[in-house]
Amino acid sequence: MSQFLLFPVFFPFLAGPFAYWIGCWYEKARNTFVMSAAALELFLVLTLWTKPELAQATAVVEGFCGMGIQLRAGGFHTLMALLTATGWMAATVFCREYMIHVHKRNRFYLFWLMTLGATMGVFLSGDLFTAFLFFEVMSFTSFVLVIQTEEYPALKAGGTYLAVAVIGGLAALTGLFLLYRQLGTLSLDAMAAAAAGAEDRGLLWVGGLLVLVGFGAKAGAFPLHIWLPTAHPAAPAPASAVLSGVITKTGIYGVLVLSTTVFLHDKQWGMLLAVLGAVTMVLGAVLAVLSVDLKRTLACSSISQIGFILVGTAMLCLLGEHNALAVDGTILHILNHSLIKMVLFPAAGIIHLTTHSFDLNDIRGFGRGKPLLALVMGMPMLSLAGAPGLNGYVSKTLLHESIVEYIHLAGEGAALFQVLEALFLFSGGLTMAYMLKLFICLFLERNALPEEVLARKWRQEGEHYVAPASVGVLLAYLLVMLRFGTDPGAAMDPIAAFARDFLGGTAPAHAVDYFAAVNLEGAAVSAAIGAGVYLLVVRTLLIRRGRYVDPIPPWLDLERGLYRPALRFLAQTAIVLATLVDRLGPRLLFHGIPCLFQRLRLWWTGTRDQLLLLLTGEVYSPRPTVEQAADDFHFARYEDEPRRLVGFTHSLAFGLLLTGLGLVFGLLFILLH
Amino acid sequence: MLMLLAILLPIAAGGVLLVWRPQDPRRRQDFVVGSACAGAAAALTAVFTLRGEEVFQLLSLGERLSIAFRVDGLSCIFAVLVSVLWPLACLYAAEYMSREGGENRFFAFYLASLGVTLGIAFSANVLTMYFFYELLTLSTLPLVMHALDSKARYAGRIYLTYSMCGAALGFIAMVLLLEHGGMFFQFGGGVSVLAGKENTLRAAYVLGFFGFGVKAAVFPGHRWLLRASVAPTPVTALLHAVAVVKAGVFAVTRLTWYGYGPDLIRGSWAQYLVMGAAMFTIAYGSAKALRTQHLKRRLAWSTISNLSYVLLGVTTLTTAGLTAGMVHMVFHAVLKITLFFCVGAVHYKLHRDFVPDVEGCGVLMPVVFGSFTAAALGLMGVPPLTGFTSKWMLATAAAGLGTWMGYLGASVLILSAVLTALYLMQIVLLAFFPRQNRQLSVRVPKRARRDPGLRMTVPITALAAGSVALGLGAGRLAGTVAALLG
Repeated sequence: MSQFLLFPVFFPFLAGPFAYWIGCWYEKARNTFVMSAAALELFLVLTLWTKPELAQATAVVEGFCGMGIQLRAGGFHTLMALLTATGWMAATVFCREYMIHVHKRNRFYLFWLMTLGATMGVFLSGDLFTAFLFFEVMSFTSFVLVIQTEEYPALKAGGTYLAVAVIGGLAALTGLFLLYRQLGTLSLDAMAAAAAGAEDRGLLWVGGLLVLVGFGAKAGAFPLHIWLPTAHPAAPAPASAVLSGVITKTGIYGVLVLSTTVFLHDKQWGMLLAVLGAVTMVLGAVLAVLSVDLKRTLACSSISQIGFILVGTAMLCLLGEHNALAVDGTILHILNHSLIKMVLFPAAGIIHLTTHSFDLNDIRGFGRGKPLLALVMGMPMLSLAGAPGLNGYVSKTLLHESIVEYIHLAGEGAALFQVLEALFLFSGGLTMAYMLKLFICLFLERNALPEEVLARKWRQEGEHYVAPASVGVLLAYLLVMLRFGTDPGAAMDPIAAFARDFLGGTAPAHAVDYFAAVNLEGAAVSAAIGAGVYLLVVRTLLIRRGRYVDPIPPWLDLERGLYRPALRFLAQTAIVLATLVDRLGPRLLFHGIPCLFQRLRLWWTGTRDQLLLLLTGEVYSPRPTVEQAADDFHFARYEDEPRRLVGFTHSLAFGLLLTGLGLVFGLLFILLH
Repeated sequence: MLMLLAILLPIAAGGVLLVWRPQDPRRRQDFVVGSACAGAAAALTAVFTLRGEEVFQLLSLGERLSIAFRVDGLSCIFAVLVSVLWPLACLYAAEYMSREGGENRFFAFYLASLGVTLGIAFSANVLTMYFFYELLTLSTLPLVMHALDSKARYAGRIYLTYSMCGAALGFIAMVLLLEHGGMFFQFGGGVSVLAGKENTLRAAYVLGFFGFGVKAAVFPGHRWLLRASVAPTPVTALLHAVAVVKAGVFAVTRLTWYGYGPDLIRGSWAQYLVMGAAMFTIAYGSAKALRTQHLKRRLAWSTISNLSYVLLGVTTLTTAGLTAGMVHMVFHAVLKITLFFCVGAVHYKLHRDFVPDVEGCGVLMPVVFGSFTAAALGLMGVPPLTGFTSKWMLATAAAGLGTWMGYLGASVLILSAVLTALYLMQIVLLAFFPRQNRQLSVRVPKRARRDPGLRMTVPITALAAGSVALGLGAGRLAGTVAALLG
């Protein structure tokens, strides 16, 4: 049983091609196969959860990719694996309904399963090398999921995604080299001790920062969040559900690994993460408020929530030994955000199935008279906005409490953290605002088009606008949320306790009273801010003549305004440099020296001719026409008659001359030395 | 004797082909593939039975000079690589060359080159290596000039010029090596250095590095490789991605590790110079590849860059670096030959040669472009495929030097990896996801697909699958290589 862990990781890699093969002949059989593969995966991970002898299982493959890979279960690993497996299972159920409208389903399922395996590999990794390995595989396989529709926006978003993944991946790889060189190990267990004994903290920081770039990019942290708002909307709904719910968490996983090993209880690292997290948190929320696209809003919301998680990570570094609140908050917020987005993205997909649009102006009023949809979307929205009684409230309270605790502990120098707390509450308020915007737009307002036109436009193919199986899965998720939210002490605390070890957390001194007045107050403040922003900003500024508008000018886009031009500039500089080198050296050697010869010859023939003309009165030889050899640039377009073109410079004689020269110089050097 | 058989059998077969001149393609193909397999089998047997045995002296030229053969660790790697790839390439060429004409001449020299390359692999001393090295230039020249049109003749001339210049420099290095008792190769170098003479020897080594480096396409001597890509694809694929260029790398490795010895060069200006040249070539080749739009030439630039990866590993002068370099040599050979075969298949079936023209070809030739993608991902170093392991090993070895030069080397590798991703992914994405002509991406019915015949697709898929398998078993391979090098 010792190598049991290899199954959940490698089984999907094997199942993927098999599904493709089946799909070449039988669509239905393939669907069933993919479903059972996802179910089997879930079962395997559940075994990890339930069987005590597997609780701390490890597996090693020596020599895989040079370093060999290490897998391990237990605590946080198992929790994340379980989250992945359930997420995939639910999304696969939803795939059956959604993917009918998409071409190249075989390819989709192939990469779908491979991405599952890779994500599993990241979460079950026992060292940073393994995590990176599967992380890269995941980047490339999920790229195919993003560009599934092959429409222009999808290809463009895919390009951005790939660029961020490749650049981030290589940054992480460089960082890993440095860390490995400094620490001598990348194993999660040994890294903390090795880092404590490392001499050169500077190099560790460089390595850590580079790794942070790689993993942070995938998580969607500022300033590398650019791929998220375009890639999520472009991908098919099930894919965006797992992208947001699970795959961004792999980035967080990497950041957590760094924060709890190399930078264990490191204050500066904590400050860095706090700043990054705060910017990401506010920026994502602002973008979400401004967005007029349902899926884009959800994607920006993901950025914002990642910011919350990063703030939690920062607090667990800053608080040092007494970081129980921050640890629990981070773990539970990862879990909650994942659960919530696993419901919201499929729900957005359901709307798209009928309306074929995500634009808020097009789908306005779609939810009228659909109480089931209102429940399915409304509850996670409320939960994410931090309404008491739902799961989102619990983790946000914990994160908030951890900030408050730090303010208490820090005493004097806590002004910055009071700002952070304010930003935290403000972002919570913005969450409420954009969720209100979506909900009101979808379920309360009327569409601009008349009913008859809408009836034609939104014609359903079947009897229901959503398949019963999908509804069942979504409702199951809602039940989980409700259970988590209503009784956090019994349902959520044990989960946090289960995963706590990984983050180096200790149990809190006393159980948190989630529904104490002071905690409810935070939620109330956020809700008030949210309502205020909605009424004052969204209703007045963002709705013009009855239509939702996006006030961001295109040039303000970080990707379009900064990254693409910068990258283009770099590439062009490199090309210019290479070309210069390419031209100068050979020009001098193959054109400069021969040119001298040619000049001399021309001069000589000219003088000779003139002399002969003077003496004999007739021209001795016609002036030869000399042409340059066709250069590199016109590789494919040579003239027909090469002899005239090539001339002395490229002849055998010239080569032999150079050979002779080389010999003479060499021998001279040796003799003289 | 077995070594001699492996060397002479393909050369003799080439000679027979020139005299016999079979007109039936079927018979010719059987003969060519058969003799390539026989030669390869002889070489493999030699590798597995004779390793570590005594030197086999063929002929003595006075007291100090001799033509002699031996199988040691480095020979094993190179000989196995060549023997595995050559029969596959012959099979591919059998179909490809049916469009080009002059097959008898072509295959005669193609086979002969196998023998000569094995000669380089098995040579026990520097003179033998030099002899076969020159012979390789001559035996591959007709292949480069095969088309005999103006471009091909021009390329041939350039090739010859560069090779001769390089050989001249190599000759100097050889003479000094002979003078100082480093005639026979031995690991760690056999040069006895007189005090005060170090810098002379180092200078000779640098000359030799750049001289033999011409075939390995190190910076100043790289241009012949681009010109030579006018040759038919089987030549470009096998000779200019594997045999000839790897012979250059092999010769440089011999010179560095078995001739002059790392102790002489380590830490001196000579090491910085050769490492710098390798690093520069890496970055420069990748940048140029990105700029080049001709498919074969883009791959040729990529080859230039990748050969210097190997040389970077070799010139770190640590055993870890040497192992990493040799592992990359094996991986790059398998990956690049696959890429060239795929590009050749596109030329063969669709007559498309430029990057923008492959738009939408992915659906037309799913097998070819599937394999291309696998190999491209491998070369980019996407884990867990082939290139990743070797790059990881190379960068760790370079960073392991602990000097600024080492860190610079590691960062150049990373930079080159970005560029590799750009210039290869561009082709892959364009082939599968056309930008403008959306109708190109619609599903193509089976009969409209344009994949070439089995003789081409079998080697392509076999190599692509082999590269994936190598990637997964990279740790074991690295272990074997390290053990072979001692």
